[in-house]
Amino acid sequence: MKEIKVPFQATVSKPPVSLPKYKEPEHHDTHSISILIGGAAGTGIKTLENILSDAFKRSGYFVFSTKEYMSRVRGGSNTTLLRISDSPIQAPCWNTDLFIALDADALSHVDERLTDETIVLADEKVEHEQIHITSMPMLESAKKAGSLRYANAYVSGVLFGIFGLAPAILLESISALFNEQNLQENEAAILDGIMYGKNLESHHLPTLPEALANLTDPMHLMDGSSAAGFGFLAGGCNMITAYPMSPSTGILNFMASMSKHFNLLVEQSEDEIASLNMVLGGWFGGARAMTSTSGGGFALMGESISLSGMSETPAVIYLAQRPGPATGLPTRSEQGDLNLAIHSGHGYFGRIVLAPGDLQECIDYGYLAFELADRYQMPIIYLSDQYLADSIGMLHSVDFSDYAQRRYVQTTDASYDRYKLNDGAISPRGVPGLGDGIVVATSDEHDEHGQITESYHMREKMVDKRQKKITLTVSEAYTPKVLGQGSIALIGWGSSKGAIGEALKELDDPRLFQLHFAWVHPLNPNHLEILKQTETNIVIENNATGQFADILKGHDINIDHRILQANGFSFFADLLKEQLSKIIKELR
Amino acid sequence: MKHPLDREGIDNAWCAGCGNFGILKLLKEVLTELNMDPKNTVIVSGIGQAAKTPYYIDTHMFCGLHGRALPISTALKASNPALHVIAEGGDGDMYGEGGNHFMHTIRRNPDIVHIVHNNMVYGLTKGQASPTSQKGFQTPVQVNGVTNEPFNPISVALALKAGFASRVNIGNYAHAKRVLMEAFLHKGYALVDVFQACVVFNKVNTPKWFKDNTYELESSHDSSNLSSAMQKALENDPMPLGIFYQAESATFEEHLRGDEKRALFSLSHDLNKMKELFELY
Repeated sequence: MKEIKVPFQATVSKPPVSLPKYKEPEHHDTHSISILIGGAAGTGIKTLENILSDAFKRSGYFVFSTKEYMSRVRGGSNTTLLRISDSPIQAPCWNTDLFIALDADALSHVDERLTDETIVLADEKVEHEQIHITSMPMLESAKKAGSLRYANAYVSGVLFGIFGLAPAILLESISALFNEQNLQENEAAILDGIMYGKNLESHHLPTLPEALANLTDPMHLMDGSSAAGFGFLAGGCNMITAYPMSPSTGILNFMASMSKHFNLLVEQSEDEIASLNMVLGGWFGGARAMTSTSGGGFALMGESISLSGMSETPAVIYLAQRPGPATGLPTRSEQGDLNLAIHSGHGYFGRIVLAPGDLQECIDYGYLAFELADRYQMPIIYLSDQYLADSIGMLHSVDFSDYAQRRYVQTTDASYDRYKLNDGAISPRGVPGLGDGIVVATSDEHDEHGQITESYHMREKMVDKRQKKITLTVSEAYTPKVLGQGSIALIGWGSSKGAIGEALKELDDPRLFQLHFAWVHPLNPNHLEILKQTETNIVIENNATGQFADILKGHDINIDHRILQANGFSFFADLLKEQLSKIIKELR
Repeated sequence: MKHPLDREGIDNAWCAGCGNFGILKLLKEVLTELNMDPKNTVIVSGIGQAAKTPYYIDTHMFCGLHGRALPISTALKASNPALHVIAEGGDGDMYGEGGNHFMHTIRRNPDIVHIVHNNMVYGLTKGQASPTSQKGFQTPVQVNGVTNEPFNPISVALALKAGFASRVNIGNYAHAKRVLMEAFLHKGYALVDVFQACVVFNKVNTPKWFKDNTYELESSHDSSNLSSAMQKALENDPMPLGIFYQAESATFEEHLRGDEKRALFSLSHDLNKMKELFELY
């Protein structure tokens, strides 16, 4: 057999990789407006989101959009929030400047988010007793253009008319999104809408921020699933096996689309147990494999996570959280599975739990998941949630060559022992067919060669070996991000990063700073020292009890306040600001 | 007698007289006679006495969890199609705990050999019924005898159009060897259900019982005919031995990888292509 080479071969003696350096969004004065679109599933709300986010981006704005939707294919009442800003934004807000109701039900669905200042636009046939509606001939104009499906083009035209933006840009967006189909009809609807929007008279009309005409660096618009997917690709992912489950399915779809361009094997498994065992079989054969799931599917994987730990077979598990218990709220968001991620699987073994907080981190930690799995030969759990996975935001261009490529697979010789007890914590990992050694993976307690043993001496050595790996990951843990400086810490992990950051900026209090954890387990006590110098520690997390706060307490960190939420939404920056402001007032 | 594929310094956990010994000997002989390089061969197993086979034969091995050998084997073969992959375990492991994977692995058709030790009883957990236990079989759990319909792996496999479905009796060694050889030569998923006796916990289905209750399929049996194969598979008194059905079709890894047969560990992604795709957003 001819010699096979492993590209980027490296050993664990190299120090951990560094992540590419990029600037955190600056916290300067910003101006933004919020547009909420409400309607039933299947009425084109997603299309409108796509048209508008693309068109506002083309017009020189930072765009962020997020959705909340019901677990059904048609009907119900869903909303998408669009925020248009002059600086990067990655959080939703509760209050709405402009609300577009695609049907009557949408009004009652969101009435709590409307203020006296909110402009409510709806078709002229929609009526409501309490809410003042600015009527537009949406359906009539769409029909005039050819069909009801041009209502989306009409509504986007209305917005462009209100804000006085160039119709040509909107047409470009629509033409790109629909592959230049039905351009004439769309154009007719757009122009009708623009005419209506231009002539709309209301003293409440929100004004757009100043457009950034000369963005030096092209920005890219994508959701958290796609960003995570690019990260996994940067980490060399070449196999994904998964069972579809909201809100994790976005990543499976993304990777499947990428399999057209890369050596990337995609298989829909019969269940989540098969998913993770395929991942382990893949890594054992030298693949870089992952699975994606949500809480329920992850729970099914517990025994196999334990197998990853015992057999020291790497694994990457993307866990997009949704509220439980059981089926819970399938299409909504929560940070409720942190403890599950940390503790799932019987027995004692090492694992790493990552929780990116924005699009850039989705990429960075996607890459890192594969690097760490290979380096430490253990399961890596990547926590996302419905909010982060489904929200669309903007980020700078990424130079994928900034992500150092390493492959820790070793060529073995005839004397190879898979579980060699060496001075370090990690035994070199061979793969079948690369060298002369016999490569094994063993679920039973084993000796250095991988044979079953019940010798208590060997058991003690192997328990110690696995402990050493944990100690190593603690010492090599990546530091939390410190944003700002002060005596009051706003502590968060994962997807709350943007909302906390925006609340911090809006509060504009020099005593506040943000401490963001994207590496959430295992924690390095040295990284927590900063929380012993502070006067007040406020933990903000999207679950009912404060799971991360409890972990910090276990590290002797004093927790003064917990801001918790478990209602299916992610944090809204403006509501969070109000909650924080109350707490801070009491501190005076 | 020592065999070149014997693993050194092992402490075999099987009971004296166990049918597993015969299957181990058979496997080593077949691998040797087919000149299969142990450095390119992986045996994947679950948990149970049968699933300990890989510890006693000097090839690569992945001894995973109860019931989960098949998904591991499937992905392993796809990650490096040059490897010979064998999934091996008992009737409880493969048909009970792993029943869902059994069905879906057949549908995927990876090029693997699936050897199931079928002794109609649970050995390692000491004597409970297995999915293939015959009705009336009394155990410490099934105190009034088994009432569930015995699982028929051959007819289930045929219902899913398994490309190779066979049954042998390790007591009929020469015949078993011929069939196992054919299984290895078959391209695609190949099921070999192996009758063996558990001398400790099954006093009913003894070597003599298997001999008296089986017969070799007639040479006139057309193994390319699915419906006559199914007819044979449903016979249970006595039960036929041999290759019920054989038909080659594209494998799982061929569907997934096309002509690309290199091991995934030798490949890497084109970062420029990645950037190009990213820029489209």
